[in-house]
Amino acid sequence: MKQHVMGVDFGSTTAKTVILNLAGNIVAHSVAHMGAVSGNGVKHSMKEALDLAGLAQSDIGRTVSTGYGRRMLDEADRNYTEITCHARGAVAMVPDARLVIDIGGQDSKVISVDSNGLVAQFAMNDRCAAGTGKFLEVLARAMEIELEEMGAVALQAAQKLKISSMCATFAETEVISLLAEGHSKPDVLGAVHKAIATRTLGLVGRVGKKGPVVMTGGVARNPAAVHYIQEELQMPLVLPQSPQIAGALGAALIGLDDYRAENRHLLISDQEDMAHEEQMAADKACIPGCRGVPEFAVDPREKQPVAGKAKAHASTESHA
Amino acid sequence: MNIAFRPFEEKKANKLDSTRIAGKLVNDYWEMVWRAKDEGKLVCWYEGSAINPFLEAADICWVHGEAYSAMLAARHQEGTAQRVAEERGYLRELCSYARTHLGCAVSNQRLRGDNAGAAPDEDDLTWKLPAPDMIISAYAYCSTGQQWDEMTSRVFGKKVPIFNVSIPWIWGAKPDAGYLRGEEWEETSDYVARQLRDMVKFIEERTGKPYPWDRLYALMADIRRASELRLEAMELCTAQPAPASFFDWVVSIAPINNLPVPGVKQYFETVLEEVKQRVRDGEGTVPDEKYRLFFDGIMNWNKVGWLANKFARWDAAVVAGRYTHMAFWQEPGLIDPNDPVRGMAQNYLICPNNHAAPILIELIMGLCRKFKVDGMVIHASRTCRAFTNPQFMIAEAAHKRLGIPTSMFEGDVTDESFYKDELLNSRVEAMLEAIEARRMVAA
Repeated sequence: MKQHVMGVDFGSTTAKTVILNLAGNIVAHSVAHMGAVSGNGVKHSMKEALDLAGLAQSDIGRTVSTGYGRRMLDEADRNYTEITCHARGAVAMVPDARLVIDIGGQDSKVISVDSNGLVAQFAMNDRCAAGTGKFLEVLARAMEIELEEMGAVALQAAQKLKISSMCATFAETEVISLLAEGHSKPDVLGAVHKAIATRTLGLVGRVGKKGPVVMTGGVARNPAAVHYIQEELQMPLVLPQSPQIAGALGAALIGLDDYRAENRHLLISDQEDMAHEEQMAADKACIPGCRGVPEFAVDPREKQPVAGKAKAHASTESHA
Repeated sequence: MNIAFRPFEEKKANKLDSTRIAGKLVNDYWEMVWRAKDEGKLVCWYEGSAINPFLEAADICWVHGEAYSAMLAARHQEGTAQRVAEERGYLRELCSYARTHLGCAVSNQRLRGDNAGAAPDEDDLTWKLPAPDMIISAYAYCSTGQQWDEMTSRVFGKKVPIFNVSIPWIWGAKPDAGYLRGEEWEETSDYVARQLRDMVKFIEERTGKPYPWDRLYALMADIRRASELRLEAMELCTAQPAPASFFDWVVSIAPINNLPVPGVKQYFETVLEEVKQRVRDGEGTVPDEKYRLFFDGIMNWNKVGWLANKFARWDAAVVAGRYTHMAFWQEPGLIDPNDPVRGMAQNYLICPNNHAAPILIELIMGLCRKFKVDGMVIHASRTCRAFTNPQFMIAEAAHKRLGIPTSMFEGDVTDESFYKDELLNSRVEAMLEAIEARRMVAA
C-alpha cells in the first residue's frame, strides 16, 4: 500500500498541489502560476510538491483534482468541484468553521457548512470577474502597482470613495477618472477593495451569515480585502496559514478517505493489531519471532523487504 | 504528465418518443401562419397569456411572440432577428423573446413592407411572420410585455388596432387570501373575465361577424381534456425511476399553449399512454436515475435537448419544474366548457409569476415534496427578471423548509451568449456532490 495521496487544484490563475501522508498530515505543498492551456503551472506545482516530499508520482496512492481544469488532469483518479473541496479543506484548517469565503482568481464563492463539515448551501459570482482576484489584477495593472502591494497601500486610504461598477473593464475606467480628478492612489485602492467586500457580502446574504467565518483563496492574503470584508460583515475572519491551498487540501483529504476506504483491509490500527496479537498469544497459535510486526504491507520504495517483514510474511503464510 | 480534456461518460436522455409528434404539430402550425395572408386570414399578434382559443374560434391566425422566438432559438435561427433588433436600437438586456420577435417585426417591414424590392431569403424565418392586423395585449406579471406590444405597434407605424386586457398581480395580502381562494381572487377573476368579454367585442369589430361562441366552447372542452391528460402524465413522474422529465414537458408546452386545438387532445393521449407503459416497464427518463431534481426557471430554448442529455450524464432526473408544472392551463377544473370565460381568466391569473411570494413558494415546495426531489437547480434568466426575481427566496425556502441544496446558474431564454457551460457544470456538480455526501453520512 502506498503511503501518500495528492490533491491538485487546477485553477484559472494558479495551480496548487498538496501531498498528505496516510495520517492526513501535509507532507508538502506548492503553488504555481497557471498557464491554463499548456498546463505548465499545474505540472510545475505537482513536480515541486513531489520534489519537496522526496516522492515520485508512482508513490502516490490516490490523486484527486479540483478547480476549472479538474477534468484535464490525466493523473487524477477522480475529480470534484471546488465547492466541495474548498469546504472540506477550509473545515480541516478551521474545524469549527460554519462559513467559508473563498476569493480566487476567476470566481468568488461563499459556502455554508453544517456541523458535519458538509456543504449546506453555496453561492458564487454569477457573471464575469466581479469581485474576484482577476478584478484586483486588472485594477493593479491600471494603477501601475504590484498586485502584492495593493492591500498595504489600500489600507492607507483616508477618504471614502465609491466604485460602483463591478465589471473589471468599467471599473478600470472609473479608477482612471478618479485618479484624473486628483484622488490619491490609497483612496482609490480603498474604494476598489470596498467594492469587492460589498460584492462578497451579497453572496453571504444568499447563503446566510453565520460564524466562525474562514477566508481562503489567494485574496485572503490581501490585508485590505480582509479588512473591508470584516468591516462589511461585522464579524472577524479566521485566516488559515496557507489560504490558497484549501481546495487542494480538500481534494487530498477526499482522496485520502477514498484510499483508506479502498484499502481498509491493509490499514490495521494499533488497537486492532494488539487485539489480534493478544488473541494469538491466548490461543498459543503464534510461533516465536512474529511478535511486534505492525503490518503486513511492504513499502514499495524498499527494493529489498526487511528480513523481519519477510519473515513475518513467511510465518503468516505458513501459518495460514 | 498529460493535460487533455476528458469528456463525461456518454449518456443520453431517454426522451419520450411521443414528443416527436409535437415537432410535426409545431411545423404544421407555423406553415399555416406563414400562409395566412395568402389565404386571406386576419392575423393577430399577442404575447403572454394563451388567448389563442378566442382567436382560433373566430378563424383569426394567431401569432404568439414568445412561441416564435422560442421556435427560432430551438432551430438555432435566432441570431439574425436579434441582430436586426439591436441595429434598430433595442437593448441587449431587453427580454430576448421580445428582442427576437421585434427583430422579426422589423425584418417583416423591411422585406414585405416599406422596403419593396428587397429579395427575401426563403430559408430565413426572420422576416416570414405575417404582419399583424390587430394586437391584443394580455400579459400577466411581466411589465415588459406591454412595452413589447407598444414597441411592436411602433414598428408597424402605430396603424395596427390594439386591445388591452389588464391582468392584475395577485397580492395575496387579504386575510382570506390563498391559492384559488379569497375575496381578491374572486374580484380579479371577475375583472379579467369582464375584459375578455370586451375583447370578444373587439374581435367581432375586426372580423365584422358575430362571435362564434359555440366554437370556443368546443375548443375549451378539448383543452380542458388535454390539460387533464397532461397533468395525469406529469403526476406519474412521481414514480421512481421517473418515466419522463421536465424537458419532455418543455417540448410539450407548444401543444398545450399555442398550437391549433384539434390534435392536441390526441397528442396528450399518446404521451400519457407512453408514460404509463414506461411506469409498467420501470423505464426511466435517464438511464441510471440517482438524483431527482426540481428545475426552477424558464427554459433555455437553444439548449433543450442539450440540457436533457447533460442531466442524464449526471444521472439526474429533472422530474418537475415551475415553468412546466405551474403554467399552461394547469387548473383545468376551473374551465366550464359551457361557459369557459371566467375559468380562462382564472388560468391566465395563475401564471407562475403572478402570485405573491408566499403562495408561489408554497406551491413550489408542494411540488418538491410530491416529486421527492433531492435538490433544486435554478436557471436565472438574464433577460427575464420577472421569472428570476423571487429565486433567492425560493432557494432559501428549499434549503430551510425541505433541507435540500440548490444550485443557481445564469442563462437566458433565447440569447445563448448569456450562458456559460462551465458555470453550470461547477454549480450543478457541486450540488450533486453535496447530496452524495449527505447520503454517505446518513448511511
